[in-house]
Amino acid sequence: MKFLPLVLAGMLRKRGRALLMLLQMVSAFMLFGVLQGFNSGLKEVIARTHADRIYVASAVSLGDPLPVSHESRIESVPGITQVSARQQFGGTYKLPNQFIPIAAIEAKTFFEIYDEIVVAKDQLEALGRTRTGAIVGSETMKKHGMKVGDHISINSPVQRADGRAWEFDIVGSYTIEDQPENSVLIVTNFDYVNEGRRTGRDTVLMFVAKIANPAQATEIGLKIDNLFANSSNETHTQNESELAQSQIQRVGDIDFVVHGVVAAVFFALLLATGALMMQSVRERVPELAVLKTVGFTDERVMVLILLESIVFCVLAATIGLLLAKMILPLARQAVGVPNMPAVVFYMGIGFAVLLALISGAVPAWRGLKLKVVDALADA
Amino acid sequence: MSFISQTTALTATGIRGISQRLGSSFVVVIGVMTVVAVLISLLAMSQGARQMATANTRADRATVVSRGARGVGSSSLPRATVLKVFDAPGIKRTPEGQPYASAVAATGVDVLKKDGRRGTVFLAGITDGFRLTSPTIEVIEGRRIRPAVREIMVSESSRRIYRNMNIGDHITLRGGEWTIVGVYRDTGSINDSQILTDADVFMSAFNRNEYMQAMVVLESPASFARLKDALTSDPSIAVDVRTDAEMQQQNFGQLYTLLDFVAYFIGAIMASGAVFGALNALYASVDTRRREIATLRAIGFNNGPIMISVLAEALVLAIPAALVGTFLAWLFFNGDVANIQGLVFKLTVTPGLVLVSVFWALAIGLIGGSLPALRAARLPVATALRRT
Repeated sequence: MKFLPLVLAGMLRKRGRALLMLLQMVSAFMLFGVLQGFNSGLKEVIARTHADRIYVASAVSLGDPLPVSHESRIESVPGITQVSARQQFGGTYKLPNQFIPIAAIEAKTFFEIYDEIVVAKDQLEALGRTRTGAIVGSETMKKHGMKVGDHISINSPVQRADGRAWEFDIVGSYTIEDQPENSVLIVTNFDYVNEGRRTGRDTVLMFVAKIANPAQATEIGLKIDNLFANSSNETHTQNESELAQSQIQRVGDIDFVVHGVVAAVFFALLLATGALMMQSVRERVPELAVLKTVGFTDERVMVLILLESIVFCVLAATIGLLLAKMILPLARQAVGVPNMPAVVFYMGIGFAVLLALISGAVPAWRGLKLKVVDALADA
Repeated sequence: MSFISQTTALTATGIRGISQRLGSSFVVVIGVMTVVAVLISLLAMSQGARQMATANTRADRATVVSRGARGVGSSSLPRATVLKVFDAPGIKRTPEGQPYASAVAATGVDVLKKDGRRGTVFLAGITDGFRLTSPTIEVIEGRRIRPAVREIMVSESSRRIYRNMNIGDHITLRGGEWTIVGVYRDTGSINDSQILTDADVFMSAFNRNEYMQAMVVLESPASFARLKDALTSDPSIAVDVRTDAEMQQQNFGQLYTLLDFVAYFIGAIMASGAVFGALNALYASVDTRRREIATLRAIGFNNGPIMISVLAEALVLAIPAALVGTFLAWLFFNGDVANIQGLVFKLTVTPGLVLVSVFWALAIGLIGGSLPALRAARLPVATALRRT
């Protein structure tokens, strides 16, 4: 670290140029952070899924309803500990752009299946007792200023037979441990929704079940699907990770776009950095010659140049990645990725070092091979 | 010398000198090229989506959905309502009295793409009047579907993208086997993302008793108001009547707004990087030319022409770079098929996008060249003439 002053002096020789280069790099790494952060964030969603949860949906597509009568047969499959119907829909609250998702479930089993949901026991009992009851996610409660005891009204494209809006009595609130920002659902009783809806009565979009042994997920899934094979309501069972993956796959080839853009950005950056480093070293030939005269070895000079490049790039990368970390949560509403995963940070720093080494290679070589006599003759 | 002749002379000299400043010139060129290539590629996606949505839009056609439905996915029309719609005034009729009207019920169907990944295709059950309301559906192989049997017509795109969509293939759905009997021509519209079957067969197999939307062809575009009044003032039904254009906006507005946002967001960040790079490169270029510029000012060239020549150098680098970038985007991605959540469309590099690319090149070039141009004009003549 005794060479740090030398390295800094080299970097700041032309302050304006260093600043512009820094800004260019920062913007490149910020973009990398945002794009790769989104990409890796999606992968993290898949990794965070629970291996002991499976979803039974129609073999046609997740949007095609299944008859509720399937439930008793699913329950009888060995290895399954709990089953709940889960009807997922949504509606708007007060204003047409305030959308809230609703899950109509079976209170007795749902919260045991989703054991990461934290809810007070008495509130859970209240949901079981109150037909029109709802337990609302803490994030939604906070956002819309709802309190336990409120009576709320939701307008939904899923219509009631009597034409009115869906009304709920809030009996409690839930939070998902270590993902409080995702606690957004209105959780209500399946029977209430099923009996009130105009169309699709006695159908449900999916069943969710907890299994005793995650390793048996595929086996149990096949057993369930076999129960209904060749009927008019065939099922397709997936565990939570497969479900997440297929949802993401359906969106399209995000990987390709992200990698393509990142490649283009780094290509342009590499060129700019390389050009800048070459010019900088060319201008400093007399100074480097003096260093060698004073006693610095050829190798030391080369390392000095590389070090300068690395410090600069890593500094720029750090700033850019921190900016990205701040921006990503803003896009959360649109894309649902709450935070930039740490792996993106390490990737970014790794790329910075690589960039520094590649763009600094030729200038460092020049520094290595510099002959004091020739250099000083020029000056 | 006049302003104009000074400017032309200086610009010409400056541009000829670019070959001596290849390093910095390259930085500007590559910087602008990558920004434009990426921006135009992404915009090609949103243009493609836009074209898919607005292809096939007719002023004399209207769609009826349930009241308050935000998109076709959340609309539900009972049979009785659809019958009333078919009887409404303002609808074109055949000489025999059949209305140019149809109804649709649809669902997404999970299928495997040819590359093995999962995808969704939209299976739409159509009534007989569909051939009148959507005459662009033209069978090019096999035949049209018949009523009362489990037959499916596929679009060319569906056949190309998904497995088992050839004539004679079978798909098992809802406990029954459905046969592919025909292929219809791609029209560059939403129909390309669909496969079609008979509405009654669909509804009985999928246990539905409501349609999603009804479409009618009007006697003339002016009849829209009459149709809308008649249907919305009927107290026994609750519907909204929308023009083709309104439906497209409702169904797809969000998609291409999102795609546009992503394109411009990424483009803006890349462009700011390119501006910093251009500033750096052009500063370096002005630096290299400082004795030349100082000499010019010493012999009487005015500041204005000098500044313009620096800006011109920036633009001479930026604009061709942008055109090359657009060309690369066109070369690699034009015509490629994108598949977002089952919606199939082709990336399209339109002439409008070429203009967008030039505009961005101008912006990057002018902003990136502005400060260096100022620096060139403000170089103190004496100091610049010194050796270092």
